[in-house]
Amino acid sequence: MEYEPTFPHRQSAHCESGVVANLIRQRGIEISEAMAFGIGRGLFFGYFPFIRINGLPLVTYRSVAGQIIRQFSRLPGFTLQRQTFRDRDRAMGELDAVLAAGHPVGLQTGVFWLPYFPRALRFHFNAHNLVVYGKQGEDYLVSDPVFPAPVRCAAPDLARARFASGALAPRGKMYYFAATPEHFDCRPHLRSGIRGVCRAMLGSRFPLIGTRGIRFLAGRLERWPARLGRERAILHLGHVVRMQEEIGTGGAGFRFMFAAFLQESAEMLREQLLQDSSAALVAAGDLWRDFAAMATRICKERTRPGDSYDELAGLLRSCADREESVFRTLNRWAG
Amino acid sequence: MAEHGGFPSADPMTDEAEPDINDGLRIVSYSTNREGRCIRHQDHGWQPVNIVNRQAWQEIEKSIGASKKKVAVGSVSCLHYYMTAHQMTPALLARYTGQSSWLVRLHLVPFIYKRLGRATLQKYAELFQVSIADLTGGELRPPIYCRG
Repeated sequence: MEYEPTFPHRQSAHCESGVVANLIRQRGIEISEAMAFGIGRGLFFGYFPFIRINGLPLVTYRSVAGQIIRQFSRLPGFTLQRQTFRDRDRAMGELDAVLAAGHPVGLQTGVFWLPYFPRALRFHFNAHNLVVYGKQGEDYLVSDPVFPAPVRCAAPDLARARFASGALAPRGKMYYFAATPEHFDCRPHLRSGIRGVCRAMLGSRFPLIGTRGIRFLAGRLERWPARLGRERAILHLGHVVRMQEEIGTGGAGFRFMFAAFLQESAEMLREQLLQDSSAALVAAGDLWRDFAAMATRICKERTRPGDSYDELAGLLRSCADREESVFRTLNRWAG
Repeated sequence: MAEHGGFPSADPMTDEAEPDINDGLRIVSYSTNREGRCIRHQDHGWQPVNIVNRQAWQEIEKSIGASKKKVAVGSVSCLHYYMTAHQMTPALLARYTGQSSWLVRLHLVPFIYKRLGRATLQKYAELFQVSIADLTGGELRPPIYCRG
């Protein structure tokens, strides 16, 4: 009987925070996904019409791929080994070597090439993270955080996924924690995580980022039907919603997950302000949900009275207002 | 694409049953409970996102259908079908096969495509996981994500 490696797989809402939380938990440190998301400064907003995904403008509700991992690699006591490759065979050889040394490895992959994915989700999206924790025969044992249980993936398929091309190409990127602290106390890092998110959401001079970005998108969205025509406008709108809901964020573009982080932080630090901010962010998340629901009704051409692009833009602006007030409060607290 | 099997569920947004698009995959998400606390729970995905995902697929299917017609009348080579079915553009296909994108554009022209050498066809065959005979014979196999 072959030795079967195990891994503390826990299903997550978001791939990167899930991978980081699972990798850290494997090293004996208990941490929730929301905690990893918050400390890793995962929340963001950006509207980048000059970057195109399937010909549609990039809208992102979370920080750039790799941000959460990078933040954790900077924390004292954590040593992260990270590599990218040019050559496929070398990349797979290195993966096998690190696995043999007993480290589960995080990989960045393109979902299009992963055979275990439901085909409805197989788009050319290249910033998906997963953990490989063993190899049996020609199959890798994969802990993919968005799946309920570990899965298997054949070596050639995994190699293809690691070398997907196009926007955000992973170039075989792999990473693992070579060292983690014996005891990890989240508390000192909560404040800096919150501060980082506040700065990203409020402090950018670039008008496409943070709460300004949300307002910018509102302005653009209002003019879509006139500028693009009905059919293209619907495609654009559907795309905005699709990005907002990018697998399992419960319909509020990561706002609920960050709210869960604030709530957990509030309990750790016994800080009422964080609890209140969490509730306020949930309210903003609910507005995002209303936005998505109305947008979908317009996409399906099943509008109710009062559904219109102007109304959608209004919803976005109130999202921006609410988030701005939440992050201003948090920013004052985090200093 | 063929109909998805799965669990029909009532859609609160449009008051109609929507088939489950994720092949029954239960995903985790965050939301709030009655007391306003954030909780983690497992479900089949929120309806609006399933709707817009289906919209995206309808768009892809539409372009695949259009491509098949163009291949049938001979205005493009069958490479155009494979490219479209795998949601690629000439630029992306060029990246995957290590060629320049204008070269790929040329290969979409039937006259040029028919004269391609084995080595070039091999690149496409490997990428789309079909045989060279399929490519030269103009066989339109389903895209990778629809096979077994």
